[in-house]
Amino acid sequence: MSEAKKIVLAEDNSTLSLLLKFRLEKEGYKLLVAADGKEAIELIEEQDPELILTDIMMPFISGLEVISHVRNKLKKQTPIIVFSAAGQEEMVLKAFNLGANDFMGKPFSPNELVIRVKRLLR
Amino acid sequence: MESYQYLIDYLKNSPPIIQAVWILSCFFFIIIVILIIYLKYLRGHLRNNEKVVAKYQKEYESYLISYLYAGNEEEEISGEQQTIIEKLKISAADIFKRRIIVSTLLRLRNEISGEMAESIQKLYYQSGLIGYALSRLKSKKWYVVAKGIRELTHFHVKEVHDEIVILVNHPKKEIRKEVQLYLVTLFHFEGLKFLDVLQTHLSEWDQIQLLEVLQHFENQELPNINPWLKSTNDSVVTFALKLAKIYNQFEAKDAIMELLTHQQKIIRVDAIHVLSNLQVVEAKDILKNNFDKLSLEEQIAFFKLLENMYETSDEPFLLAHVTYENFEIKLSALKILKIFNIEKFKSLKEISSEPEFIRIFKFIAHNQL
Repeated sequence: MSEAKKIVLAEDNSTLSLLLKFRLEKEGYKLLVAADGKEAIELIEEQDPELILTDIMMPFISGLEVISHVRNKLKKQTPIIVFSAAGQEEMVLKAFNLGANDFMGKPFSPNELVIRVKRLLR
Repeated sequence: MESYQYLIDYLKNSPPIIQAVWILSCFFFIIIVILIIYLKYLRGHLRNNEKVVAKYQKEYESYLISYLYAGNEEEEISGEQQTIIEKLKISAADIFKRRIIVSTLLRLRNEISGEMAESIQKLYYQSGLIGYALSRLKSKKWYVVAKGIRELTHFHVKEVHDEIVILVNHPKKEIRKEVQLYLVTLFHFEGLKFLDVLQTHLSEWDQIQLLEVLQHFENQELPNINPWLKSTNDSVVTFALKLAKIYNQFEAKDAIMELLTHQQKIIRVDAIHVLSNLQVVEAKDILKNNFDKLSLEEQIAFFKLLENMYETSDEPFLLAHVTYENFEIKLSALKILKIFNIEKFKSLKEISSEPEFIRIFKFIAHNQL
């Protein structure tokens, strides 16, 4: 039996991260939740996930720094999906320039997120 | 004992001012000690409070997630969902817990869309939280009413439109602001109908907030703004001018041109700016013919309009004003002349020996404006 694919979720909204954890674990993934960018980087380095979901605005280290760390320091090509609030279009462009693969604007549909995750992890 | 006696003798024998200083110092020292003890107590209390809030938040988060995933296709509300609703109803009776439940629901509702967001909305109704928000509307305390309206806005409760719209001219500006945001957030451009009946002042900040909300809607079709341009409430007129500018309401040009004779100078100036933005050529001729009767601010605004809509036929008018006493008008006139008749512009070099004129001329000659 193949091991469940690991996803690191970096999101400071605990209610949203609980919802997404529930939803994605129902789809057979293993969710590792980080409440801030610093924790996210630690988890990524320890667990080497197959996918990273990250918010942009987070305490300590932002989502952009997480992406930069993964692409430039760890030299990994792990697929990254970025969440952005309305009005953060410039940040989303920066995220893509740093190497993010996809983005979802908030508010987003969890069902749509699952479709995008499945597509990236095919 | 001897040292105390020494201190007492020292104080008794000191001049009155030294005694007063010592007494004040002791008094402030005691106050500081009391405050430090109080701050420690307060900090401990707040930290305990935070722990209690975090504990309840975690509990209500798990209720919420369980509710969202406990539904089935056979029933509208499953047994598990009903259990969660009953638990939340009991908790919601306590104001402290109710605040945490509402904030938990909102934290998720603001981040997700689709059927999950609709389910959260349903839970807000089923758990009876909407009843508490509605009861706040009847409170005698203005801040309770304002908070109630804000909660109903956040949860998109459209059914209470009639109860809220009657507060549009409430004496408290905080309530009026919440009413306006409720109407516009939930009813989009249709919600602006409150401007028909608004008798109180709509501040600049209120206007900015309304425009901020409006710009996010996909359907950017504005209703007819002519009645607002003719309003007796000057702040409504100002806001309507902003709408005309941002949403390019060319069809309202006649109503905007009527504002060129409004009794308020600031509205007349705003109207000129909007007409310039909309490129209304008729306005240019009207203002040019009445130029000398305009106030200085209107004259400056007119020249800004001319910078957008100049024609070669404006040359004599511009030439007549290159040595005008006002700096902005001189600058505008020379700028426009340089654009469409560079030879004429160059010939104006010696027209005046005023240092200000010479400086403006040199600046325009050497810079691309």
